[in-house]
Amino acid sequence: MGTEHPPVADQARVFRRLRARLFRNALRVALEAGRVRLFSMLLTSLIVAGFTFGVGYYLFDQLAEKKIPVKGSIVASLFDLLFFTLGGMLVFSTGIILYASLFTAPEARYLLSTPARADRIFATKFQGAVAFSSWAFVVLGVPVFLAYGLTAGVPWYFYPLLPVFLLGFVLLPGSVSAMLCLLLVRYMPRNRRQFLVLLSLGLLVLAGVWLVRVGMAARNSLMNNGRELDDLIGQFDLVRSGLAPSHWMTRGVMAAARGDAAGTVLPLALVWTNGLVGYVLAAWVAGRVYRPAYDRLAGGGRGKKVFRPSVLDRVMGALVFYLDRPTRVLVVKDFRTFRRDPTQWALLILFGVLMMIGATNFRQYYKADLAVMDKYAISLMNLGGTAVLLCAGLSRFIYPLISLEGRKFWILGLTPVSRDQILRGKFAFAATGSLLIAEFLILASDLLIGLPPEGLALHALAVAVVALGLSGLNVGLGAYLPNFKETDPSKIVVGFGGTVNMVVGLMFLVSVVGLMVVPFHAAQLARAAHGGAGVSPWVFAGIPVGLALGAAAVVLPLRAGARALNIMEF
Amino acid sequence: MIDIVDVTKRYGPKAAVQDLSLHVPTGELFAFLGPNGAGKTTTIKMLCGLLFPSAGTVQVGGFDLTAEGDKARALISYVPDQPFLYEKLTGREFLQFTADLYGMPPARSREKIAEVVDLFHLDDFVDDLTERYSHGMRQRTVFAAALVHEPRLLIADEPTVGLDPKSVRELKTLLRRLAADGVTVFLSTHTLDIAQELADRIGIIDHGRLIGCGTLADLRKQAAMDGSLEDLFLKITEEAAAEPPSPETAVPGLAR
Repeated sequence: MGTEHPPVADQARVFRRLRARLFRNALRVALEAGRVRLFSMLLTSLIVAGFTFGVGYYLFDQLAEKKIPVKGSIVASLFDLLFFTLGGMLVFSTGIILYASLFTAPEARYLLSTPARADRIFATKFQGAVAFSSWAFVVLGVPVFLAYGLTAGVPWYFYPLLPVFLLGFVLLPGSVSAMLCLLLVRYMPRNRRQFLVLLSLGLLVLAGVWLVRVGMAARNSLMNNGRELDDLIGQFDLVRSGLAPSHWMTRGVMAAARGDAAGTVLPLALVWTNGLVGYVLAAWVAGRVYRPAYDRLAGGGRGKKVFRPSVLDRVMGALVFYLDRPTRVLVVKDFRTFRRDPTQWALLILFGVLMMIGATNFRQYYKADLAVMDKYAISLMNLGGTAVLLCAGLSRFIYPLISLEGRKFWILGLTPVSRDQILRGKFAFAATGSLLIAEFLILASDLLIGLPPEGLALHALAVAVVALGLSGLNVGLGAYLPNFKETDPSKIVVGFGGTVNMVVGLMFLVSVVGLMVVPFHAAQLARAAHGGAGVSPWVFAGIPVGLALGAAAVVLPLRAGARALNIMEF
Repeated sequence: MIDIVDVTKRYGPKAAVQDLSLHVPTGELFAFLGPNGAGKTTTIKMLCGLLFPSAGTVQVGGFDLTAEGDKARALISYVPDQPFLYEKLTGREFLQFTADLYGMPPARSREKIAEVVDLFHLDDFVDDLTERYSHGMRQRTVFAAALVHEPRLLIADEPTVGLDPKSVRELKTLLRRLAADGVTVFLSTHTLDIAQELADRIGIIDHGRLIGCGTLADLRKQAAMDGSLEDLFLKITEEAAAEPPSPETAVPGLAR
């Protein structure tokens, strides 16, 4: 009879075997049924890694050319900041994935109804979440440090130590986010929305204070022609503190780069022991709070909320007046889903507000007649910021749209709307929203700075190309590389297809901005520095190429996506 | 086998189950009926240890689900209305995983897997990945997994949905046989014919309260009428609905 509780070691073995079987079967299916897909995934990964390696190599080579010691404190500070930022991002991404895996996934409900121990279920989900959230970190991190190693001339053991450091590092942010996730769900006040709003506001204020301090320090440095960098660097003391795991990473990697093998031992030990202790601690917490937390989440229902049609839906419908009625209905459906999910648009507002704060600050500098902070440089940064915001926003919200239809796709499949129309509708939705947001942001920030009309027109055109191109890429690739098995959009975004989409999007926006806008700004900066009557018309030569690139980014992915969608069976 | 004592479960301000007390002895086939949103699934989730009662205690096989949940769950099999299968496992691998998870010795698990494969006619597809299964195939596989570790309590939520008539007939025979062999069966269903045909006792829950419990004869006495279970169910639930709802169970915002 199944009345005996299996010993701890047995459950560990049972779950290890489960993971191995799932992996083996998934690999077999990939090899048997989708060799082309697997091959294209590997090839794209290699291209991405190669591109990252190329950029990294170029940048480190430039540092070496400028006689900046690549094994010195400036590069170490850069690494500190890099690891700190990546660690912070891992905390958020692992936390979001873990939340979905532990509390909303059908598998969690199934496992919780069996005698599987709570900490064992947690361990399985934790390993999956960390692997999912950090594979891009490892795949992108390795080429960067390979490039560093090659330009800096490091000893051989730098290379095998690198993945050991990176793999150890992902454990700590993962454990922190796991504990935060479990404790928040278990002990969060009943009024979750109010609590989360307060928490977000608190974090926003802290980030704002820090940004203002960094901004003031940067202004002081610039006003003194870079002579007083201490204040600016001082703002990053936390990142460089001996207690910061990001600094252990930097110390270890730099020691390996310098050929100080003994110097790598302590940082490596710190990274791994703290990561493992964090993991054990998180599992201990899970053993005690996971089941009560699940119960609390399931039992925390609110009163019935009545959803009514909104005037915004009618506005959205009017904005896509050029589409036929069924496609318009689909666009409004996507918009309604978007506006009813505060986590979606709250992030967008947050990004937008931060950017406007940035633009206002830069305007202050400009008014202070800071020669270095020329309005052309500032507005170019604004444009870059808007483009990156678009890329991140569309990757997060638009790319998973087709995947999220998932098993419900038959509903759309049976409607008298062709799949091409579905795709066109998603594109219209993405393009309308992104055009409105991006044009507003760029024109508002450029007007704040006081950019002349030709600059405004150029920015408006470039942002339109970026918005339309990224919309095409996200909708097209979303249909070409869908993930119908996944119901959690954050997992879709950080999965293989999502990462490919993000990287391709970034390459696209860099190319468009580089071709259409950078020559004009470079010429204006040169004119400001050396004098001269006007800029050469050749600075606009990249515009047709940028436009062609934008058209290709719309047409090619949409065509590929439509082809994939049309032969798909549901 | 099941002892539910004065259990209340709240979802925020709303009580989904209120002051529920129920004893189901070993080997009984108990049918749990109620309209949509009556509190059936909440009760089942508390029986499996997925949810904890806000007040009162739930015991299975003498183990309190809150304090000794893992020991209690080792006795239970739960077949939910939307069963879960790992898409990238074959049916046989899933059965093996279940047997391993419940700590069955390898020889015994092989024997039982062969038995349930035969019992649920899984031979044709048991070595295919479950992502290729139809709903009926999934349901049969989940039932096979539920029985592979020889549970003492089988909890099934709408078990006949998606099964063809032959499979339904076989399932009914199986459930009766399990009960005769000493397995307690807790069956939640909207198919009143099945409940009438199979159940030793029937419980009716509405608005979180147990409004009727007993044999068919007991329910007829309570409703003061003869007739099918469908007639009794409708009469008992209508009478309960005619009583004013307590403030505890009223949904906020809907009161006029």
